[in-house]
Amino acid sequence: MKESYVDLINIRRKVFVEIAKMAYEDTDLNELEKAAYNIIPGEVAKYRENIFRERAVVEERLRLTMGLNVRSMSEFTRVTEGIDEVNVDETKFIPDLVNVITFACEACPTRALKVTDNCRKCLAHPCTNVCPVNAVSIGKDRAIIDQDKCIKCGRCKEACPYSAIVEYQRPCAAVCGVNAIESDHLGRAKINQEKCVSCGRCIIQCPFGAIADKSQIYQLVKALKTKKNMYAMIAPSFIGQFGALTTPEQIVEGIKRLGFKDVVEVSLGADITTLHEAKEFLQKVPNEIPFMGTSCCNSWALMVKNKFPEQYEYISDSASPMVETAKYIKKNDPDAIITFIGPCISKKLEALREDVKDFVHFVITFEELMGMFVAKNIELSEIEISKEIQDASTLGRGYSVAGGVAEAVKKTAQLLDPSREINVESASNLADCVKLMFQAKAGRKNGYLLEGMACPGGCIAGPGTLASTTRVKKAVEEFKNKAPFKTPLDNELIDEELKK
Amino acid sequence: MKVKVCMGSNCTLLGAMNLLDQIESLRELIEENSLEYKDEELEIESIKCLGYCKTTDANIAPVVIVDEDVIFNATGQIVMEKIMDKMRI
Repeated sequence: MKESYVDLINIRRKVFVEIAKMAYEDTDLNELEKAAYNIIPGEVAKYRENIFRERAVVEERLRLTMGLNVRSMSEFTRVTEGIDEVNVDETKFIPDLVNVITFACEACPTRALKVTDNCRKCLAHPCTNVCPVNAVSIGKDRAIIDQDKCIKCGRCKEACPYSAIVEYQRPCAAVCGVNAIESDHLGRAKINQEKCVSCGRCIIQCPFGAIADKSQIYQLVKALKTKKNMYAMIAPSFIGQFGALTTPEQIVEGIKRLGFKDVVEVSLGADITTLHEAKEFLQKVPNEIPFMGTSCCNSWALMVKNKFPEQYEYISDSASPMVETAKYIKKNDPDAIITFIGPCISKKLEALREDVKDFVHFVITFEELMGMFVAKNIELSEIEISKEIQDASTLGRGYSVAGGVAEAVKKTAQLLDPSREINVESASNLADCVKLMFQAKAGRKNGYLLEGMACPGGCIAGPGTLASTTRVKKAVEEFKNKAPFKTPLDNELIDEELKK
Repeated sequence: MKVKVCMGSNCTLLGAMNLLDQIESLRELIEENSLEYKDEELEIESIKCLGYCKTTDANIAPVVIVDEDVIFNATGQIVMEKIMDKMRI
């Protein structure tokens, strides 16, 4: 989340509340035609050049939140077009997950080095002297960069004593670690879905709010109204997300008041994943595989699958904490319908996988959950509850902070086999993950446990969060120390067989 | 000087925690240039929902109270300016 994008964040969240309300109140979906007027009231534009465009963009957000595709602007289509298909009480995924709302996109120019009016046409003009392709010359008012010649090495920018040269980049493309942002025929951002791993960073980075993912909150609320066996599991980064006064226990109780039968910490699944990965590492590295990558971040795993297909088998076979937690719930209640609540949008894709879809039925983000709380008028900080949450170990609860997964696996592996020395390395953004994999591919990480995470700082910086990473990091640390168990090996909820 | 930030569900949805972060960050600014500011503690408190938004249909979240001054639709720039103006000598 980019906290300083205040207006964009608020619009996005108001849309979640609107859709959740419609689901809870069984509103006739034809009312969707009017919903944009609730979110953008009045007749004066506040965000864009006119209110019609503001509402049109909100309408696309409403559609995406319903799970529908963005409309094409070249033909007449109602806001409610296709609504029957998604007016159901189960997940209905219409690809793609991450979408550009084309007419919200301002078609920002692509990457370039530009001279600003800080340029003083200085005598030394190092910008021209350091250019390897002779693309910089001194013009009438300032230095000029010949964009046809420029190879974007950035040396002129480094050399300028006045900070007069800036490197300009589209915000969406700048944060995309897999170069999935391309341009359409009008220069607007277009996502190459073959390359995209749905990490969601472009969604939170676009300053015009032109990229959004699909949501399942409407179908989830419908399911909560009609089905009994609804379970929620909440990712380790949930601590501190829902207001500075709200305790973890109040969050869990609040989720139950939305209609869930029970809530389980995904940190429990993290403990199970840790045990699997620790044993797998001890067993396979270095004899069967040269190094092992962690498996919990879906975007990281997808990136390796796409870009390093030969090394994909070195990613741990262990299921992610989301899946392990769901399996735990299923074991106790085979009819359970399970919702994952987390900071992540990539999990929305992971849940659709053949081997996962029978365990995880819905995936929503913390932001979307907050929308549900508001739609249902739940005041979390006023809930009275004394029961403590005791599902997971200190190490499991640390999964959401970069480095936490590797630490848990390393410590547990060393408890299982104290004679082993284990090297770990972590990367926590996709570009760094790619670099790390190139090194590993070249054989420079042999014997290592590699932890890859797509979000900078780990899951606590996921696109579906509400609180700043510093705030959550502190809160997670406190919650870790309150864990009833130190390591996964002490966790009484886990089968003893797995600990051997 | 006392600043209260509402942590009700509506206010949290619309960025109350970010406001809290921003207001807390002012302490550093003030400390760095302490000679320019009053020797007064900037007291920051998160408070439970005061119920303002439940009494009206208008959108008023987030709510911040600077001393006795209740600010509706609080934004970082408005709240921070108010605090800095009051704190400056």
